[in-house]
Amino acid sequence: MDAARYAALFLSESREHLTEVDDALLALERDAAHANAAATGAHIATVFRGVHTIKGMAAAMSYAAVEQLSHALESRCEPLRSAEEALSGDVLALLFDGTDLLRAAVDAVPRGHTELTSAMRAVVQRLGSAPVVDDAGANVRAITDAPVVISDVPSGAVGIARRVDVRLTADCPLKGVRAMIVLAKLSALGTLRGTEPAQERWQDDLFDGAFRLTLQSSASDDELTAAAQSAGDVARVAVTLATPTPTQGSAGVTDAPRTVRLDARRLDTLLDLVGELVITRDRLLRAIEQSDRPDRAVVRAAADAARLVATLQDEVLQARMLPVAQVFDRFPRLVRDIARDLGKDVRFTMEGREIELDRSLLDAIGDPIMHLLRNALDHGFEDADTRRAAGKPASGELILRAARDRATVVIQVQDDGRGIDRDVVLRRAHEQGLVQEQITTLADDALLQLVAHPGFSTAKSVTSISGRGVGVDVVNTRVRALGGQIDLETITGEGTVFTMRLPLTLAIMRALLVQVGGDTYAIPAAHVMEVLEFHGASRSTGALTITVRDETVPLVALQQRFEDDPLTPAAANPDGVRHVAIVEVAGRRTALLVDALLAQQDIVVKPLDAVRGARPWFSGATVLGDGSPALIVDVSSVA
Amino acid sequence: MSRTVLICDDAIFMRTMVGDILTQAGFEIIGEAETGVQAVERYQQLRPDLVTMDIVMPDMGGIDAVREITKLDPGARILMCSAMGQQALVVEAIQAGAKDFVVKPFQPSRVLEAVNRVLAA
Repeated sequence: MDAARYAALFLSESREHLTEVDDALLALERDAAHANAAATGAHIATVFRGVHTIKGMAAAMSYAAVEQLSHALESRCEPLRSAEEALSGDVLALLFDGTDLLRAAVDAVPRGHTELTSAMRAVVQRLGSAPVVDDAGANVRAITDAPVVISDVPSGAVGIARRVDVRLTADCPLKGVRAMIVLAKLSALGTLRGTEPAQERWQDDLFDGAFRLTLQSSASDDELTAAAQSAGDVARVAVTLATPTPTQGSAGVTDAPRTVRLDARRLDTLLDLVGELVITRDRLLRAIEQSDRPDRAVVRAAADAARLVATLQDEVLQARMLPVAQVFDRFPRLVRDIARDLGKDVRFTMEGREIELDRSLLDAIGDPIMHLLRNALDHGFEDADTRRAAGKPASGELILRAARDRATVVIQVQDDGRGIDRDVVLRRAHEQGLVQEQITTLADDALLQLVAHPGFSTAKSVTSISGRGVGVDVVNTRVRALGGQIDLETITGEGTVFTMRLPLTLAIMRALLVQVGGDTYAIPAAHVMEVLEFHGASRSTGALTITVRDETVPLVALQQRFEDDPLTPAAANPDGVRHVAIVEVAGRRTALLVDALLAQQDIVVKPLDAVRGARPWFSGATVLGDGSPALIVDVSSVA
Repeated sequence: MSRTVLICDDAIFMRTMVGDILTQAGFEIIGEAETGVQAVERYQQLRPDLVTMDIVMPDMGGIDAVREITKLDPGARILMCSAMGQQALVVEAIQAGAKDFVVKPFQPSRVLEAVNRVLAA
């Protein structure tokens, strides 16, 4: 067997289960107050199921430490699960400890450590189970416990077997539950033969709302379609004749996996290739435009190819989308631990875990979100007495929210803490000379600029949790490097909301290509309002401006801007007519002076390393059709 | 004649909000309940066309209330009102006999879509 592949699968699946177990333990802790027996039972079942699955995998891989810890946890859960024993705080704490060490044991596997450490052995003992005997039985059990999915076909089933493929709308909440309603509607018309993925997986985070039912029914295709659609939030239904099923009893009629695990680098490669294809398409179309007598057949074929490339691009981008849950789900545990270290009582909720983002963005947003959560916990929330004195609930409310807004994803971190104290920020800003003395009020965006200023901090003491000053500036830099923006709303005494607005994908954007000092740069087309010939600037109160239809717009000469940056080589001044691109950022217009306009086209974005301070004017780079590189201008920093 | 609705939720805020959405759409709110036990009692008295049911309520939770009401009236039309993160509970409620669900925070259009689906079935 391919050991490396299994080892990788073991790691990724174990970590998924550990996250579920963590969530369930947190839920148990949360629900302990209002002891809802049904919910408690469900959470214990989740813990049990998670550690049980991990045990089965570890046994198969001969990872002794993981196996023994998960076995001990499973055994400890058994009496709780069968409700022989009520869950006490001590036992819950023990389960938390055990899960921590189980995670450590899983994390130690890639380093070649698979034996119990003394700390692990101690917890196994406290969990009160005899170490599992290394016999062959454990593996067998794990396999025979696999859920049985296929339902037997009752002898009385009538009608024709049909396959019903359903896709739920992208914004459908609780897709797994909606799928159950579809299933109920269809089951009323016939006999269910199976589902794909298995019903057990519908409540998984990764269930994306696409599923297939096999149904024996005498209803017409149209009746089946209508029934499925009546369940609501159904985007698409397709009914087809089911292919002849294997003889009854042979498993797996419809239980073949719909998803495959795929090395993420393949998706990156595919995306790169699609990007090159997009560029090549543009070159081809341009070549045809420029030819004197284009061949009609060539034009038609090129148009078809262009359309196919666009579809392919959509599909590849779609394949890279993942729910933010993949990043969000580690936060409840982290927040709980930090809040406990700080001795703060905070209720943490997450919304919109199912919202999808491109993989590359997903990888990059974890740290910024963590920074903001840490900041809120450390600085945002008052202690319980102060809160009570202010007439607020003693426990703080921290919300992490994701939502889709047209072509962007909005992520918010909201707390109901003390809010950012404008007076303190202003005083500190005056001290550090960041703000002129006569300025005495701060709007939210000015406030954000200050707290995001590198090194700016109002924290009285440095803590291990949010450090000194580096926080909001790191977040701001990161989010901007991702082509996003960040906003701040804060009300003294009521709380603070940080809003990150991110593009759905980093990969491809429309850009205006311009020439500045002999080099080619890309300006994201989303920011460009219009392009004008440059007929000289005027100077008002020290700054250069131009007049666009009676409106005075500040002018930024890109060449001078870039030359301030030692990384950009100076170039000779060109002659001929120059142009300005009018860009708009956060409602403010700026004219960017460039030497020449080259083209408007799709570019494939290669992110620059988001190192703080380096190359402040650029958000990324791209490779042009002729193979030469171009930097992408970060409009919000140059304007 | 307008369709009648029984709203079950322990929070006045939520009852008011659901009530407003439905009243504006021409439904008649004939009763409210704050606990599962009340929900079952009121259902028996009022026999509404539709019940909106919160999941977590004191006394008797929404899911048990669904079970009890469905026992009284297998044709009862119950719409669950759930919060994000209650997926497992919504599953249970649907298995117990609820016909559909909406997720808080409520968008009026989504609530009305769900209500109309439940009433059309």
